[in-house]
Amino acid sequence: MNAVDGSDHYTKTSDEPPPSLLTIILDTNPHAWALLSPTLPLSAAIANLLVFVNAHLAFNNANRVAIIASHTQRAEFLYPLPAQETSSHTNGSAPQNGFDNDVEMADDGEPTVPPLSDDANHYRPFRLIQTTLLTALTTLLKTTPPSSLTPTTSIAGALTLALTYINKTTLSLSTTTSSTAPNADTTLAAETAPPALNPRILILSVSGDLAHQYIPIMNTIFACQRLSIPIDIAKIAGDTVFLQQASDATRGTYIKLDHPRGLLQYLMMGFLPDQTNRKYLVPPTAVGVDFRAACFCHRKVVDVGFVCSICLSIFCSPPEGAICLTCGTHLQLGEYGGKPVVVARKKKKRKNVEDGKGKDAT
Amino acid sequence: MADSDDEYVQDISDDEVEAHQVTRGAGAGSRATGQGSRGAGWEVTRTWENVVEGADGTISSTVDGLLEAAKRKRLLKDTTPLQRGIIRHLLLILDLSLAMSEKDLRPTRYLLTLRYTTAFITEFFEQNPISQLGIIGTRDGLAFTLSPLSGNPNDHIANIQKLRTQEPIGQPSLQNALDMARAALFHAPTHTTREVLILFGSLLSSDPGDIHTTISALVSSHITVQIIGLAAQVAICQTLANRTNPSLPLSKTYTVALNEQHYRELLMRATTPPTTTHSISEGGGVRSSLLMMGFPSRIVDSSPTLCACHSRPTRGGYLCSRCSSKVCSLPTQCPACGLTLILSTHLARSYHHLFPLRNWKEVNWARASSSDQRCCFGCQTAFPERPMGASTLRRQSFGGQTRDRMAMHTTRGKPSASKHSVKDVSMASVSKDGVSESGRYECETCGRFFCIDCDVFAHEIVHNCPGCQSREGMLLAAGAENGNEMVILAEAQKG
Repeated sequence: MNAVDGSDHYTKTSDEPPPSLLTIILDTNPHAWALLSPTLPLSAAIANLLVFVNAHLAFNNANRVAIIASHTQRAEFLYPLPAQETSSHTNGSAPQNGFDNDVEMADDGEPTVPPLSDDANHYRPFRLIQTTLLTALTTLLKTTPPSSLTPTTSIAGALTLALTYINKTTLSLSTTTSSTAPNADTTLAAETAPPALNPRILILSVSGDLAHQYIPIMNTIFACQRLSIPIDIAKIAGDTVFLQQASDATRGTYIKLDHPRGLLQYLMMGFLPDQTNRKYLVPPTAVGVDFRAACFCHRKVVDVGFVCSICLSIFCSPPEGAICLTCGTHLQLGEYGGKPVVVARKKKKRKNVEDGKGKDAT
Repeated sequence: MADSDDEYVQDISDDEVEAHQVTRGAGAGSRATGQGSRGAGWEVTRTWENVVEGADGTISSTVDGLLEAAKRKRLLKDTTPLQRGIIRHLLLILDLSLAMSEKDLRPTRYLLTLRYTTAFITEFFEQNPISQLGIIGTRDGLAFTLSPLSGNPNDHIANIQKLRTQEPIGQPSLQNALDMARAALFHAPTHTTREVLILFGSLLSSDPGDIHTTISALVSSHITVQIIGLAAQVAICQTLANRTNPSLPLSKTYTVALNEQHYRELLMRATTPPTTTHSISEGGGVRSSLLMMGFPSRIVDSSPTLCACHSRPTRGGYLCSRCSSKVCSLPTQCPACGLTLILSTHLARSYHHLFPLRNWKEVNWARASSSDQRCCFGCQTAFPERPMGASTLRRQSFGGQTRDRMAMHTTRGKPSASKHSVKDVSMASVSKDGVSESGRYECETCGRFFCIDCDVFAHEIVHNCPGCQSREGMLLAAGAENGNEMVILAEAQKG
């Protein structure tokens, strides 16, 4: 079609690969990290993560990074922070404190994070991220009241935040396309324009599934699918079916860490290459994915279920009185329970065969 | 988009923006609704008069305001949760007659229709993963099946691509096409919708018999017909749309595309599942029922085996949960036993139609200054600050906090500011296309402010509110249940 309207030459892309935006969602549930502390304390994990982030930034000058905490009951940006917050923190002595606190948390006592002084040998962008991240994380953990220490994590919120951030960054980078086609559908613009940015999401997950977040999580997964943003999962602890489906649906990488102590190795080997590079590599992916659904009535995992045509709830067996438990609609059972007309004839045939077999045997 | 530009629109052009909106709104409205009374009067909208030069001599501010209005316009849709026909049977009728070779829509009506249809097919299956679509073409006074009713978007797109080499020819026949559509929808189960969407470029229909009998037959088989015209309104189309959709206004069922963009919007509007009205469900058109579905798991074989759907050797695939035949892709019907095979994620994809995200409210300056939220909750972009007055048009939007606070205080202190805010309130209540003067949009559930881009994104693509999903106390109730499970899991991990 482009050949017809002569817009072929607009779609030419430059030779160099687009910069990539790595959005890391860090599950900061204190419970889960406390349980993990003998093998992988949070401070060590953060130190590993920082090395990984630095490696990502070193790949390409224009590469960007965003880190979001999926805390017990809220999701928050750890990096980047809005302008005034960072300025107020860097002016005070907050970063130093933040760093000290973080070291106190390290049970192993391993000084994994290099000191935060104005080191002339420390590349400034690296230091900026380190300072901001540690400060924000300390504030986050400090402001968590004991009452809210539930073993849950708001992964749906964090994913939504990650997506809005990616969307905004992409828009700001491709302003030319958005302004020339003001009325064009946003998705269309995203599809037709050459990608200005290669976004991806990496989730460091330590807690299990949350059934009540099912719909929001699914919504984010479909959004990622539409925008072709892969969701990579580094599963440090716990078990999730949703995240496995998320990475499968978005063509991301799912790695379950058998040895959490080697987090950095997993990150560097499995998650460092971006979308452009992954085409040339063989990514580590799970072979079989469990796609079975959980029924709404008994939470049983079923492979054949009954679906309400109005609200699409899944049941393991037709509900009592044929009334949907979710929306209360009276449902017709359709052909369920009715015998197909062919059955009788088939039985006859089978009988004959069996008879024949029986005769042979006797 | 520079923030200062937005501000400028907001503070000087109360009148301009309003005037703009009214003319635009009225213009679009009269074209859309007034098509029944076409010829009542030709309205000239002088859009160029609404463009006002800014203080810096550019029109970028007005243009930005317009852009924002356009973005927002699409958003403001009805968000009441309605019962919708999620499982649809839709037949798309394409006019392939000589009238389609007109070049009023670039490059031609024909090629544009093919391009948009491809996009429509993708979007349709995106929004309605468990629905069926079929395509019928009409030319030379005949109707023919371009693509039979099926749930596989790739087949449809391949069939549409084949049309590119052909030329539109002859006259269309509405009656033949409708009869064919009725026959195709005859076997559609009662729990699904039966819909026909016609893309009609001609001004006539060359029919073998009385089309009114066909229309009556459509009505009695509960088929609804939507038409998108490309040329002008045609009386028979109007009758057809009116009689098959008695409960809907004509503006929703028969529309004429004004330009390429409008055409696309109209077409994409048809991807949203229609609401089921009671009159239809009582009349027996749509009846709810319980469907048996299989949720197969994916397998990877060590050696390629033939799939049941295409008889092609493949290594990966899905095994039917009832008869264990292998199919390549989902959703589909098992070719061996006829069980509907689907991923549970496909069902989840339709949930946002059933539980839509509520529209966000525009925030006026008074409300904006009462909150201490300085940047968009979703993307961390700083909001424009409240302008000092009508004379101050430009400022640093990313300036230090103290400076902005000072600005706040001074504006509040001025007597004119209060007058301004009163005006703002009235303005906010009056504004029709919902552009927020402060560039903020508030989710009424969690009370957080968002920028226009996040607003559009959250409503059109994610269907989640970032604020509500990451709110304190959201998870308290559910936390207790999952607590034990979680600890056990974690301990198992430890051991």
